[in-house]
Amino acid sequence: MSAPRETQAGTNATAFVLEAKQIEKSFGATHVLRGANLRIRRGEIHALLGGNGAGKSTLIRIISGSHRLDAGSISIDGRLDPNPNAIAVVFQELALLPHLSVAENIYLPHRKCAFARLGEAACYAEARAALALVDEELAERTLDWPVAQLDLHERQFVEIARALSSGARVLLLDEPTANLTFSETERLFGILRRLAQQGISTLLVSHRMGEIRALADVCTVLRDGRSVLDRVALSDISDEAIVEAMGQKSSAVSPPAPRGAPAASARMQIVLRSPGVSLSVASGEVLGLAGAPAGPSGVIETLIGASRPAAWQITIDGIDVRFPSPAEAIRAGVGYVSGDRAEKGILATLPILDNIVAAARVADRRILASSREATAAQTALDMLSIKASSIDALPQTVSGGTQQKLLLARWLAPAPKILVLEEPTRGVDIGTKREIYAMIRDAAAAGCVVVWWSTEFTELIAVCDRVVAFDLSGQASGVLDRDELDEVSLSRATGMAA
Amino acid sequence: MTEVVIDQRAADRPQPGKRASLVVRLTRIYRTEIAIAMAIVVLLVGISFWSPYVLTWGNLANIAQAAAPLILMSLGVFLVIATSGIDLSVGSTFSLTGMVAGLCFSAALPWPVVCLISLGVGLAVGAINGGLVTVVGLAPFVVTLITYAIGASLSFVITNGHSIAIADPNFWTLNGGEMIPGITNFVLFCALAVIALECVLRKLVVGRWVFAIGSNDKAARLLGIPVHGVRFGVYVASGVAASFASLLSLSYISNSESTAGANLMLQAIAACVIGGASLFGGTGSAIGAMLGAIMITVIQNGVNLIGINSFWQGTVTGAVILVAVLIDRATKVRS
Ligand SMILES: Nc1ncnc2c1ncn2[C@@H]1O[C@H](COP(=O)(O)OP(=O)(O)OP(=O)(O)O)[C@@H](O)[C@H]1O
Ligand SMILES: [Mg+2]
Repeated sequence: MSAPRETQAGTNATAFVLEAKQIEKSFGATHVLRGANLRIRRGEIHALLGGNGAGKSTLIRIISGSHRLDAGSISIDGRLDPNPNAIAVVFQELALLPHLSVAENIYLPHRKCAFARLGEAACYAEARAALALVDEELAERTLDWPVAQLDLHERQFVEIARALSSGARVLLLDEPTANLTFSETERLFGILRRLAQQGISTLLVSHRMGEIRALADVCTVLRDGRSVLDRVALSDISDEAIVEAMGQKSSAVSPPAPRGAPAASARMQIVLRSPGVSLSVASGEVLGLAGAPAGPSGVIETLIGASRPAAWQITIDGIDVRFPSPAEAIRAGVGYVSGDRAEKGILATLPILDNIVAAARVADRRILASSREATAAQTALDMLSIKASSIDALPQTVSGGTQQKLLLARWLAPAPKILVLEEPTRGVDIGTKREIYAMIRDAAAAGCVVVWWSTEFTELIAVCDRVVAFDLSGQASGVLDRDELDEVSLSRATGMAA
Repeated sequence: MTEVVIDQRAADRPQPGKRASLVVRLTRIYRTEIAIAMAIVVLLVGISFWSPYVLTWGNLANIAQAAAPLILMSLGVFLVIATSGIDLSVGSTFSLTGMVAGLCFSAALPWPVVCLISLGVGLAVGAINGGLVTVVGLAPFVVTLITYAIGASLSFVITNGHSIAIADPNFWTLNGGEMIPGITNFVLFCALAVIALECVLRKLVVGRWVFAIGSNDKAARLLGIPVHGVRFGVYVASGVAASFASLLSLSYISNSESTAGANLMLQAIAACVIGGASLFGGTGSAIGAMLGAIMITVIQNGVNLIGINSFWQGTVTGAVILVAVLIDRATKVRS
């Protein structure tokens, strides 16, 4: 694989499999893209970087044809009337038909004639071949399973196979790793590297610098809709320079060190017990949960009153408590940020205002949706420096990372005593991550117990006081104190590669 | 390479921290409703080219009278649709309520008592719907299809298919009386219902919950919203609204028939859709549902006045729904 090292050299147009020039796009009064450029070579893995709201997803939607551009040009292989199948977006989820089989999902989309005989055998062979290109084991095992039975990362592989079998030569992946574990990410990257050798290019959006360095050759950095860095080889540029180009403080690259003991007012003592394990957490502590979803989700569902019967037993200040419903948990002072933003977090048809004050309404047993709520919501937006046109706008008008901040904004006013976080930094940019870590420490310093599940070991190590590790079967396999916390010990205890 | 970034951000980006004025916000929120209101006016003016009679006070009063039961019913159905449910049983409830009321009148009960008993029909059907949807967890479409079928059949069974003429000399006052001098009751009821519901939906937390559940019920549950309770409530409200609509209509017509509500369920759902509600839930308004109901009634009235064979009514209504939905979508895409 040849690692391209040019910057603006080699402007021979045909050298690029995809070339987007001077793209402009506005939504109403919001000017989102202001002359963005993106040029991708054959067989290249290209990182598209930028802060939340920089316009990355918008650019991808324009290139894939789901948004129209206001000005600019897109050419594929130097031609302006591109073959629509040459470019494929690999969505995080939802783009597959869950009740149809894997094979059908791969071959149905590019049948041209609706009434042609399907030729079952040929179609299966074609689907199997495409999926084998991606993952042989998956092709052997799952070809006739309904897609609903696959894991998230396996669905992504199916999407890639579908794109390949339609003749795609550029794959656009918008934050594909946000919901994947470390080893799943590794598998995905292995596939992308192999495809690159076969001449398939990848455009990758991610907020994790480590990942980008591990995979990509070249990067383009967007800032406020402009390409401030245009095709820079990653080997030629430091993380600090990239982060600075994104318009964020370069000191934001590493998370803050944990602070000392909590305020003197620390009173609450929580004990979490399940057969075999007993954990005690006091106010002011940040307790990390690490490991495959099965383990942490048991603790979390018990704490937020989402599961009956509860897997764990909770004792607060010596008194056994049970939350029969999320409402009870919220009124008892439990705040919860779901890791599944679209499915369990955002109220998509309600304005940002309702999204922010929803939890406070339940916590305070409010009856009236008062006008004071607007002030409170606006304060929350300002405190988290959330970029939104107004509190009356719908959540879909803000970028993915900004929606994540909306979920956190819900809990500013109710000021919970126990804050349960699932991957709160999912999809947020480097600068914002830093702010969220600071928020977590601040909440703890104010006397809150923070229980935080993350799949990113580095952030757990940097911020937590203690981490409970769960092994792959969901059993708690160990409690690591501050001084024992490092990637090696975490990966050993969780059974996940680091 | 690194371009010079000219910082125009401050100038171009919408300023956070400022909220648009109330008038601007209201026109934005009620964009669809304003469009429908204007469409109704255009429709009336259009019809008046064929039949100038349409714009007389007498005819407008006819339209209002005919629209009143449909408006009340649509409000109930709208609540259900806003939670991403559906209520197919309202037409049957309408018929059944009428027949029960007819039987009660035959037994010479005083009319206020009859009203209370008859409202119990809607309450019962709504509670059955709500219970099966929430406690048992069946799909709203299936549940209300069942109660629709049973209700429709029962409204024949209880009088053996005979219609009942109402003899009570005072019952007409429910619809035609003037509790507030100068305002006929049916107008008063509709206005109160629409205003009250709109205020509940906008200003009370429980109203926001209705939309939150329709928007994302998993998220709503995790936010501590009593999803089951609210769901149950909207089905009960829908049933009671259908019963009340039936009493109002009966009070005007004074004759109870087993098929009275047969067409109303589709019209009520259509009214909600015309009024900007999405069948996926989470959007729309009470005012929109009311305007949708008025529009459907205006079309029926126009078809009659112009002298088109009334068999065409459904076709015209269907075409109007299509146009309304397309306009709604166009305005949403542009913004
Ligand atoms: N439908 C829309 N209407 C109005 N504004 C929009 C719409 N879609 C996106 N925007 C705005 O465009 C900007 C860019 O959004 P985009 O989703 O492309 O950001 P992004 O770079 O993908 O950010 P993230 O890293 O958070 O995913 C944001 O400021 C957002 O508010
Ligand atoms: Mg994005």
